[in-house]
Amino acid sequence: MKYESQGIAKMYFIAAIALFVGQILFGVTMGLQYVMGDFLFPEIPFNAARMVHTNLLIVWLLFGFMGSAYFLVPEEAERELYAPWLAKLMFWIFLVAGGLTILGYLLVPYARLAELTMNDLLPTMGREFLEQPTITKIGIVIVALAFVFNIGMTVLTGRKTVINLVLLTGLVGLAVFFLFSFYNPDNLVLDKYFWWFVVHLWVEGVWELIMASLLAYVLIKVTGVDREVIEKWLYIIIAMALISGLVGMGHHFFWIGAPAYWQWLGSVFSALEPIPFFMMTLFAFSVVNKRRRDHPNKAAVLWALGTAVMAFLGAGVWGFLHTLAPINYYTHGTQITAAHGHMAFYGAYVMVVLTMISYSMPLMRGKKAANVTAQKLEIRSFWMMTLSMVAITLLLTAAGTMQVYLQRYSAEPLPFMIVQDKLAIFYWLREVAGLIFLSGLFLYIYSFFAKGKEVEFIAEQAE
Amino acid sequence: MNTDDLQLKRATSSALLSLLNLTALPVIGFIGLLYVYSKTKPNTIDRYYAVVGIKTSLLAGIALLLVTLLVILLGGFESPLTWVYVTSYFVIVHASFILFATWTLTRSWTGEKLKRQILSK
Amino acid sequence: MRETFTKGMARNIYYGGGIFFLLVLIGLSVDTVRSLPKTDNSQNLTETVAAGKRVWEVNNCIGCHSLLGEGAYFAPELGNVYTRFGESTENIKAFIKYRPVDGIPGRRSMPQFNLTEEELEAIAQFLKYTDGIKTARNWPPNIQG
Ligand code: HEM
Ligand code: HEM
Ligand SMILES: [Fe+2]
Repeated sequence: MKYESQGIAKMYFIAAIALFVGQILFGVTMGLQYVMGDFLFPEIPFNAARMVHTNLLIVWLLFGFMGSAYFLVPEEAERELYAPWLAKLMFWIFLVAGGLTILGYLLVPYARLAELTMNDLLPTMGREFLEQPTITKIGIVIVALAFVFNIGMTVLTGRKTVINLVLLTGLVGLAVFFLFSFYNPDNLVLDKYFWWFVVHLWVEGVWELIMASLLAYVLIKVTGVDREVIEKWLYIIIAMALISGLVGMGHHFFWIGAPAYWQWLGSVFSALEPIPFFMMTLFAFSVVNKRRRDHPNKAAVLWALGTAVMAFLGAGVWGFLHTLAPINYYTHGTQITAAHGHMAFYGAYVMVVLTMISYSMPLMRGKKAANVTAQKLEIRSFWMMTLSMVAITLLLTAAGTMQVYLQRYSAEPLPFMIVQDKLAIFYWLREVAGLIFLSGLFLYIYSFFAKGKEVEFIAEQAE
Repeated sequence: MNTDDLQLKRATSSALLSLLNLTALPVIGFIGLLYVYSKTKPNTIDRYYAVVGIKTSLLAGIALLLVTLLVILLGGFESPLTWVYVTSYFVIVHASFILFATWTLTRSWTGEKLKRQILSK
Repeated sequence: MRETFTKGMARNIYYGGGIFFLLVLIGLSVDTVRSLPKTDNSQNLTETVAAGKRVWEVNNCIGCHSLLGEGAYFAPELGNVYTRFGESTENIKAFIKYRPVDGIPGRRSMPQFNLTEEELEAIAQFLKYTDGIKTARNWPPNIQG
């Protein structure tokens, strides 16, 4: 760690991991509600648990992105953060606002929360992923602006690297596209159309810029490969992301009443969307192959490779699986979607944040890498979480295929709820995989506290 | 271009063709591989990668097409369980082959064989 | 990544491609918004329907159901529920109204939202309006959603 203000990342990462635990606890709660419908009913109905699950995901990923930026940007810009106090202040504002919102979801009925927060003045609530009360949304905008300002000033007054600029572009895009969440017309089709400007243009647009730049940064650090080479890769990856992903948004406009040309445009362009994810895999494999040194932080290297591979699987392969209109006609809004959503979010964004944490946490704690035991445990937790996510994805894919067949494809389609009963076995197994994921997460947290032989020592001995 | 460069170029082409055979250009990629193979000599790096590519393609052909076809024939076209099995199986196995071919490609760029020589580096 | 392909070229593809396709997207969006009236059933978008959309939102119905295939997958698709319930807003209202407070033992249950008559009417009208949206190929594939 070269600059003191990089250390601010630590509080952001700790909060991120804590909220991650909350997210997964509600995930396994819902997993159980899928098969034991009356579990926690009516105290925590499924929709409340779901909001907590997905909103915690988004909030902790944002914490993760912010922490990553605070760690990365000063070093790349070769100066201290522009306003460290602002970063700390925003941390607490975001944490308190986020916490209150989650408590609101759990403690009062949603309609009451809407009333309490005066949703009527500017109704924005009650749409998937954007359930936050309007006042929270405004809070998010303020935090995002302060954050982008802080990072932006650091970059603009310091050394400008490609990684810095791409990251900054991604973060600005994140803030800008979130503004669409304030647009909620009465016309449902219009509402749906612009809702995707937040959701799709985040995960298949600007977040890819963030992800690619974080990955590029860690790969430079752990492999020692020439910056020129890595920057070229970075540009071409994000170029493909935008070229395919912007118009690729059409894959969400097939069945919501939008014009028919989206069937073609959406299919063709979104079929190209796996390319940037594939290139990330190619990129990560190739720089690790050409590495100039063996970094003592083996866990971070593994996370980086894992991110590239799992993002390609979750977003690229599982995205492609249902992105062509004739297939999406059958799979739209089934468990296939859920399968893809889980692996894509985990493989791309969860893993890239964990990669940054894995790389930077030891540095912030004053060492090159975590001790041998800690790394071993971290690597084990990597496999536990990753493999159980693969299992969850496969089980939901199986459930989804069955659902499509019975409910949508067969000559005598069965009602939704009857079909759900027939899928119980898949859901039970998914719950088991979810519990393994949770144990993996606990092991991951424990790994930060494990004591063991320090790696620097071993590295020195080897030299 | 001297022979060394040419060999490296062929090795990379083989790896790329085997990847294409798995994705955008099935069969055509394979024919390309056979062509590259015909240009190589034994015990060279380009022969090595051509063989890896051909083996991968054949294995993928069996694992993806033959097995899938068999399952459909045995399980029956009209059974949901057939489709449950086929979708999950096909996606994960296909993806694994693609990942393997991707790894092969990046290895061919280094001009070395697949396994990293731990001592020599 | 041969040397003939420089970083500068990669950067130009990024800026050029990104800006070009952003403009394409904006153009297509303008066209989409213009042509929506042909399909979006806005001629039936009454005050009641708008109020119904609000009821839909503040009770977070999307947290369990999907609507035109978007949302959650825990409970049935509602984009065509009006058709499924025999084209009767009364049936829809009755269903929502008589959900048991404590749910149905062992099964997934819908909460009792204690909606007023006015709200019930609004949500039912909203679902009817949604059913009237002309989706491509008449999605969903069949009445089961
Ligand atoms: C990391 C990147 C990605 C993430 C995090 C992600 C996540 C998601 C999520 C959460 C949904 C469900 C949205 C909802 O609730 O309605 C979704 C839907 C979808 N995604 Fe992705 N996705 C990613 C990349 C991709 C890519 C690259 C493709 C295409 C190749 C793709 C294709 C689709 C399609 C077609 C749907 C609609 C499914 C439906 O019709 O129900 N996604 N994605
Ligand atoms: C490990 C245990 C987990 C379980 C049991 C679980 C369970 C669930 C369930 C039941 C849903 C609701 C599906 C529905 O609408 O009917 C859901 C939604 C979702 N979960 Fe998880 N989850 C888990 C972990 C995760 C993780 C690690 C992530 C992110 C990386 C994640 C991201 C999401 C997203 C994005 C959605 C919305 C999906 C969509 O709209 O398509 N979940 N989860
Ligand atoms: Fe998308």
